[in-house]
Amino acid sequence: MKYMILMFGDQAGMMEARSLEWIREMIGFMKNMNADLVANGELVRAEGLTDASQAITVRFQDGAPVPTDGPYAESKESLAGYWIVDVESEARAIEIASRVVTFIECPLEVRQIADRPPDV
Amino acid sequence: MIEYALREHAPRVLATLARRYGRFDACEDAVQEALLAAALQWRDSGLPDDPRGWLLTVASRRLVDEFRSEGARWRREEHVQLLDPPATEIAADDDTLTLVFLCCHPALSAPSQLALTLRAVGGLTTAEIAGAFLVPESTMGQRISRAKQTLRNVSARFDRVPEFERPDRLRVVLQVLYLIFNEGYTASSGAALVRTDLSSEAIRLTRMLARLLAQEPEVCGLLALMLLTDARRLARTDVDGSLVPLAEQDRSLWDRARIDEGAALLERVLGQGPVGPYQLQAAIAAVHDEAASDATTDWAQILTLYGVLGQLAPGPVVTLNTAVAAARVHGPRAGLALLRKLESDERMARSHRLHAVRAHLLEQAGEPAAAREAYLRAARMTASIPEQRYLASRAARLVVLSPSREDFSSHGGFGTGRVRP
Repeated sequence: MKYMILMFGDQAGMMEARSLEWIREMIGFMKNMNADLVANGELVRAEGLTDASQAITVRFQDGAPVPTDGPYAESKESLAGYWIVDVESEARAIEIASRVVTFIECPLEVRQIADRPPDV
Repeated sequence: MIEYALREHAPRVLATLARRYGRFDACEDAVQEALLAAALQWRDSGLPDDPRGWLLTVASRRLVDEFRSEGARWRREEHVQLLDPPATEIAADDDTLTLVFLCCHPALSAPSQLALTLRAVGGLTTAEIAGAFLVPESTMGQRISRAKQTLRNVSARFDRVPEFERPDRLRVVLQVLYLIFNEGYTASSGAALVRTDLSSEAIRLTRMLARLLAQEPEVCGLLALMLLTDARRLARTDVDGSLVPLAEQDRSLWDRARIDEGAALLERVLGQGPVGPYQLQAAIAAVHDEAASDATTDWAQILTLYGVLGQLAPGPVVTLNTAVAAARVHGPRAGLALLRKLESDERMARSHRLHAVRAHLLEQAGEPAAAREAYLRAARMTASIPEQRYLASRAARLVVLSPSREDFSSHGGFGTGRVRP
């Protein structure tokens, strides 16, 4: 079963609020985390996004798409990065997310990817 | 067909080496390398006279090279005397079975069992398996080597499974094969073709197992179930990939040869030994397949078969299917009454199927509003895109007047961005 684990947050704010030491540790943590997922044969993909302040929102205005600068919603609720993992169970996906949450102390969202065969 | 020849020979060659040298993981790597070499070489020069002998020779050589490169450690051990002469004898059927049992070892997770079985028994390359499961090749490669590592860690050896363990181990093997089949039993996504291949592969492996274990009625039961289900593949999806429910399928598209083979197989095994869940599910599939139309389906017989299945292997999914059959025999209210039992069942809490079935029955019972709500709830819960579309379209049919569509851009959440020049 494939799950997308989404990490939200304000990267710029984090860089300001956290110590350099913490940020170094965090980078090391993420590296280890991904290495473990690779070693288990569970990692499909992982990406970090550029800061939400660089986002472009394409809106639908007066019947046409209009690109606008700026983030969607509050930047602290904006997507910062994601993992796609292929795991045995939902419990395992939650376990992976919990490991990250324990470190960064921010919420993560676990969403199943719709790639199951239909069973009607 | 080179790939076909390779897949046919792979398990016998691997079993021969594993029995001779004992080290399953190293043997498996060597066979995989030999398969890759064969795929390249045979494409140019055609099939050799003795493909299996060719594979065995090449794989043995790789294995010897591997042992030599490990150097002194191996030279000290007695294994070295096994290196000469290379293995030539062909493994007996029993060895192929040992291989299947090893790949479906209970210490492995389900995804690992699937991957290892497809590679070691099925003779598929890592790239093919990765493609079928839509993951990167490196991920699948890592999963396979981790699985072999796990087998080493639990000291699982290439030995015949003792008689007393066989029923439990066989159950896992059948489950793995059925999972492979179901994984492939889908269409309509970009990867449809590769995945179809998984169903064929599951059928091929189950056919092989049924030949090796002719005395086990459940193996034949599983094969019959796969054939009788796979027979409907073409009718199951529309030209645009949307799902067509059984009742609405064009039965002229059903594969008669598969149905005949499945039905004959089932007839042969039923009554031969204890009846099991796969045989019963195959019998139910056969009743559907042999009906000329949905209207002439013998639902009373299906209801009886589900009753037996519920005795033998009770579970929420069986109850759910019993409700469908009961509705056809005694009316939708009878089905809905059975579903009520499942509402408090923890195992169904995250499944969309309960709501999908309830929606159908509510629709038949003349309660469009409640049916629509149940369809939409099921659509939100399913992890299958074609199914989501199907359920949403069923819900949409029940709308007399659609509510005015809320303009997405008017949602408050978009913040206040500056319009780009």
